[in-house]
Amino acid sequence: MAIIRDMIPAFELFQPNTVDDALALLDEHRGEAWVLAGGLDSYDWFKDRIKRPAVVVDLGGIEELHGITEEQGGLTIGAMTSLTEVVNHARVQSDYSLLATAAEHVATPQIRNQGTLGGNIAQDTRCWYYRSGWPCYRAGGNTCYAAAPKAMNREHAIMGASRCVAVSPSDTAPALVALDAKMTVRGGGSPKDHDAEDFFIGPAIDITRMTVVKPGDLLTAIHIPAVWANAQFYYEKVRDRGSWDFQLVSVAAAFQVSGGTITDARISVGGVAPYPVRLERVERLVTGTTGGESVANEAGELSVQGARVLRHNDYKIPMMRNLVRRAVRSVA
Amino acid sequence: MAEKLIGTDIAPPDLIAKITGRARYSEDFRPDNMVFAKLLLSPMPHCRVRGVDATRALAMEGVIGILRAEEVPSREGPREACLTDEPHYEGEPVLAIAAITEEIAADAIEAIDVDFEPLPFVLDPLDSLRPGGPTAYTDGNRFARAPDAEQGDGPVWSDFKWTEADFAEIDAGRMPSDAVAISNWDKGDVDAAFAEADLILEEEIVHQSVTHHPMEPRTNMAYWENGKLFAHVSTQSAQRTKAAVAGAVGIDQEDVVLIAPYCGGGFGSKIAGTTPMQIPAIFSRKINRPVMLRITRYEENYVGRARPGFQAWVKMGFRSDGKCIGIDLFIVEEGGAYGSGDNGTAGAIADLIYTPENMRFRAVSMYTNTPPKAAQRGPGGAQIVSMLEPILAKAGRELEVDALQMRLINAPDPDVAFGPRGSTLTSVHAKEALEQGAELFDWAGKQALSGRREGTKVTGIGVALSPYTAGSRGFDGLMVIRPDGKLYVHQGIGNLGTHSISDTARPAAEILGLNWDQVEIVWGDSSRGMPRSSVQAGSQTMHAHTRANHAAATDAARKIRQIAAQSLGGSPGDYVLDNGRVFRRGGGAGMSFAQVAERAIQMGGEYDGHELPDDIHRETVPAATMLAGEGLMGVAKDNYGGRGGVYTFVAGFAQVELDVETGVVDIKEFVGVTDCGTVVHPRSLGAQLFGGCIQGMGMAMTQKWVYDPKYGVAFANRLYTARPPGFLDIPLNMKWAAVGIADPQTPVGAKGIGEPPVGAGAAALTTAIADAMGTCLCRTPLTPDIILSELEGRDPAFGRLDQHVG
Amino acid sequence: MDLWRRALDPWGQDVLIGVSWDLMWAAIIVAAAFLIGHAVWIKTRPSEAHEATEVPAGIPERIQRHSLASRVFHWTMSASMLVLLVTAFVPVLGLQFAWVEIHWIAGVVLTATIIYHIIHSIGWQDFWSMFQIGFSEGVAHLKHIMSPKAPAPKAGKYPFDHRMFHHANVVVGLGVIATGVLMMVRIDTPFWTPNPYMLADSTWGVVYVIHGLCGVSLILLTASHIYFALRPEKMWITWSMIRGWVDRDHYLAHHDPAKWVVTNGAAPPSVTEGTPRAAETAEAEGASPEARSASE
Repeated sequence: MAIIRDMIPAFELFQPNTVDDALALLDEHRGEAWVLAGGLDSYDWFKDRIKRPAVVVDLGGIEELHGITEEQGGLTIGAMTSLTEVVNHARVQSDYSLLATAAEHVATPQIRNQGTLGGNIAQDTRCWYYRSGWPCYRAGGNTCYAAAPKAMNREHAIMGASRCVAVSPSDTAPALVALDAKMTVRGGGSPKDHDAEDFFIGPAIDITRMTVVKPGDLLTAIHIPAVWANAQFYYEKVRDRGSWDFQLVSVAAAFQVSGGTITDARISVGGVAPYPVRLERVERLVTGTTGGESVANEAGELSVQGARVLRHNDYKIPMMRNLVRRAVRSVA
Repeated sequence: MAEKLIGTDIAPPDLIAKITGRARYSEDFRPDNMVFAKLLLSPMPHCRVRGVDATRALAMEGVIGILRAEEVPSREGPREACLTDEPHYEGEPVLAIAAITEEIAADAIEAIDVDFEPLPFVLDPLDSLRPGGPTAYTDGNRFARAPDAEQGDGPVWSDFKWTEADFAEIDAGRMPSDAVAISNWDKGDVDAAFAEADLILEEEIVHQSVTHHPMEPRTNMAYWENGKLFAHVSTQSAQRTKAAVAGAVGIDQEDVVLIAPYCGGGFGSKIAGTTPMQIPAIFSRKINRPVMLRITRYEENYVGRARPGFQAWVKMGFRSDGKCIGIDLFIVEEGGAYGSGDNGTAGAIADLIYTPENMRFRAVSMYTNTPPKAAQRGPGGAQIVSMLEPILAKAGRELEVDALQMRLINAPDPDVAFGPRGSTLTSVHAKEALEQGAELFDWAGKQALSGRREGTKVTGIGVALSPYTAGSRGFDGLMVIRPDGKLYVHQGIGNLGTHSISDTARPAAEILGLNWDQVEIVWGDSSRGMPRSSVQAGSQTMHAHTRANHAAATDAARKIRQIAAQSLGGSPGDYVLDNGRVFRRGGGAGMSFAQVAERAIQMGGEYDGHELPDDIHRETVPAATMLAGEGLMGVAKDNYGGRGGVYTFVAGFAQVELDVETGVVDIKEFVGVTDCGTVVHPRSLGAQLFGGCIQGMGMAMTQKWVYDPKYGVAFANRLYTARPPGFLDIPLNMKWAAVGIADPQTPVGAKGIGEPPVGAGAAALTTAIADAMGTCLCRTPLTPDIILSELEGRDPAFGRLDQHVG
Repeated sequence: MDLWRRALDPWGQDVLIGVSWDLMWAAIIVAAAFLIGHAVWIKTRPSEAHEATEVPAGIPERIQRHSLASRVFHWTMSASMLVLLVTAFVPVLGLQFAWVEIHWIAGVVLTATIIYHIIHSIGWQDFWSMFQIGFSEGVAHLKHIMSPKAPAPKAGKYPFDHRMFHHANVVVGLGVIATGVLMMVRIDTPFWTPNPYMLADSTWGVVYVIHGLCGVSLILLTASHIYFALRPEKMWITWSMIRGWVDRDHYLAHHDPAKWVVTNGAAPPSVTEGTPRAAETAEAEGASPEARSASE
């Protein structure tokens, strides 16, 4: 079969109005249905004719998936809320600026208008071997082309890899891990809440998915608990270009600071693993300190312990180390 | 001449159509019965088609036909055909299918089974030079006349290899001094110069190949009517593209109607049209229906050309005062599937901007199984300037000479003679551009910022000089004053977005004393008459066609005065032209141009184009003949002559902040000052200058090709992975200025601007980054990983001379 | 049902990448059908007539069947095999966990135990007691399965069905190990950089298919092995793999003392006297020093 790109094959489109209808459709078309949020990941796949579902279920018309509401002192963000809305939301900006900043670092204004928070965290990896339709592990094959000795893997993982070395592309994911967000997933049974750090799974667990959301399930909402509101935040994303680019490495950190001392911390790094990496050892290290230069340096070194580099991504070690340093230094 | 229109901002005639979306590009046309073609691209970098089974595809409802390689023109050797059964790069078109909808055509392509036989391939020219290394073609890596060839012998394939000893030098990080070059020249005594030099710097250089990425892909549509080919082509040029279409299809030029009113950019990749333009032309003849071939962004990445990359070694010798006295430059150029020759210009430009007096230039361009290479805005010059300017700055640091001083002491004077043939130039005001730029940039004040560290950020400042050819001579102008009193300037150049179609007509209006609203530009459709023109490339049109239109308008003015004198008495010299009228100097009788046009038609002969000058190009004759009798015709060849090449210079200045913890570079300020002669259209000049500099910034900072070395397949094949600069990569603080000294050898004084800004943008950045780092990374793109690895003293994650690294 | 999984390689060419998981389901179904079928068949089968056997002199009460080393080998191998099967197939069945590392480590353990076993069996055990063909015994065994009236043949140390099971395991086990070791090159271990290009894609396809076929076969073999090990009438064998010995009654009921010489004491059983066969089949490892001297 000859390869052709840039032409979306025909599919049957469903535009349900409720989550229940969407779930019913997904159940009815099990195995052939594709969930469409903002479409920025989906249409890329469709255009390349690599993923070609017979049925597409567009969540755009489901009112209950849109919007940001206050709940239990925190915020619940519907999965279909646009990134622009997240960036501009007053409570997000005032209390959870970490998320606003991270969301603002996604791609371009046009993409943020169209892209959704749910889509951003549930999106597929951008490993170019995988996205080019190569029969790699993630595509159901038995090879990781990106981990081959001379492969082009500058963007790939330095930790958390298991056969597949692709990284999580989401900019908001590390921020949500740092904010201890809960993701609500609905499927056949009752809705289930997952801690952000468990929501993202590595290839060791399932090499074909990046999150716990199984075919037939829907990510419906993201809840940000009250506890991290107005914490001291740090976000930084390093990318090749100033806009419309995925991260090389990013860091999202939340610190509870009392009298100059860090009483609690959550730090997460993006772009280094198939999932946002939570740095619990670093969090323990910095808790109880004032986050000065020497603690920051120690935190940086600790964060990259055990990292394993590929042919072209050695730079991620100093980049990650330095970003973690900067995050910790920001407290002082 | 009067300066009513020259040097003012006038909106071009296509502006509203472009802004409102009414402008029709090639893909916007839909003749009756039109079908869509889709291409089947080679999935591998080098292979042979053993068999094609299109039975299923052709049986699909709505599929109209197939076009195979044997049905299109092809030539022996490394010469590109629009379809091929032996592709030499991934993405090379193998066959085309036409169907009533594009979706059906795409489905049909998928239904075709092609049996490809994979063949050995090479991505890196150095691999091809290595003994025993693969070659891009089955028969070798060099196609040239054999050294012992007899007269009449054509070129033949051979294996061109360097020795193990050459590679031992390369592997040791040195120039392979004994390696055989394919092209070389030298001047003075470079070895003696090095013996004399107070400082010698040697560097290895890697300049990545970058794609052109025009906004509009090379989409084409064609149909045949009454024996004529109507070709809608995405092309930079117009009249010359018409000739190219005719040549490619094998028909007479006058049997081609070229329709190309708009082009969404080309940057050198669509000079006289494109290779894929042949497909709809040939396919529509075969199936007797209009054929639209929309090239997608993905396809554009492969068939859309790229700037060739360089791997090079350079040795530069300096006197203690900073003067460069010797350059030894050896370039290996990545030629792609069908070859390229940027290295020649690179060598000449190195000589031009460092004026070393002693120089040895050697180069090898190797075929590789990568997408075809082509001229890209400032070809050769942009690469070499962005790689050598940081070395000049480094020499300045070592000799304790200010970088601007280094730049000035080495810059060419008007009497410069450079390159293999000692070329001279019509005008050189490079030093004025540098000095004006230094003032605008406040170089003296910024000196204190160089190397300053605040937190994790280090400031670097850079200055660079980028020259490029900017004009040509000897083309024709053609214009008609019609009985409506308006001047119709017929432009054979293309509408590339540079505003040349209108700006080069300004001298005509100026000479004829017309207001701009009395001038109509006729362009984009060869059936309306196009004079022989330059290609819309190499920054030629501003120079070439202000001259040609100046000549034709002068011809028209002469005829107007003659008609006035004949009609109203007196001698032609008594008459002046102004505001669409011709009247006797000092008041008295006059005629409107409308009346003049009517009179010209009555008089016939040379006045209305029934008699044409002998010296105009034969390709102008049919257009002029067609327009004869429509009004008063101005038609002439540019006979102004001139000595030496026409070059424009751009001095670039940049201030950057480099974050030493992340390797991220923030461009804080950029200034570009050009010596491009007289400024015709300031706003457009500024846009060209900024656009080119920004393109250069992308080249220096982010853009690249990436191939998997095992399969030879390209990855950075989307805009988001190929990374041309985005909005946030551009400094907020950008300024431009022009020296504004007229070129003495051209009547309007204007030179072109398209090419040289790219090198200035790129080199100002590479130099500023080198300044911030206190070292010199002669490599592009300077992405954060490369900078950070260098700053942290880590092993770089690629070989020093590796191309196409991810 | 698909037999193979195929894919388009990076050049768009069709390549084999492994066996279809349908085969796993097939193996599970066949295994289940066989076990249920066998259980029913046994249930409906008339009880076997055991011929009374005279107790030859010198047969000890407990007969050493498996040395400690053998038993440790067996259970290590079984554990690694079970881990391998679980880590290979349970994720396919839908229960997801990080299986790769466990799988390859278990694979290394299995490989090590098999290497040990091969060396041990050649150098220290009676290698041929397992590898004798025993054609007539096979025929007799078949007759016994067909009709309970036909007496079960008395075997040497390893009965015919055990030997056949072992042979099948040798083929499938060596297949899965050889391909598994090759596949290690492709995954990230602390020892080397993964290299998917050591073999051509098409060759890798064959490697994966062999690994898959052997793996799926092991579902069948292991399921039936466990089943028989748990069957009440076979429990005495299972116990022998735990305790190391069989009691005299079972020994006499199922084994031919001439083929598996275990006499403890001065007088060797007359039936085997002077026959070279006895010497061949007597097992050095399983017997006490006395038994060994007796058979020599």
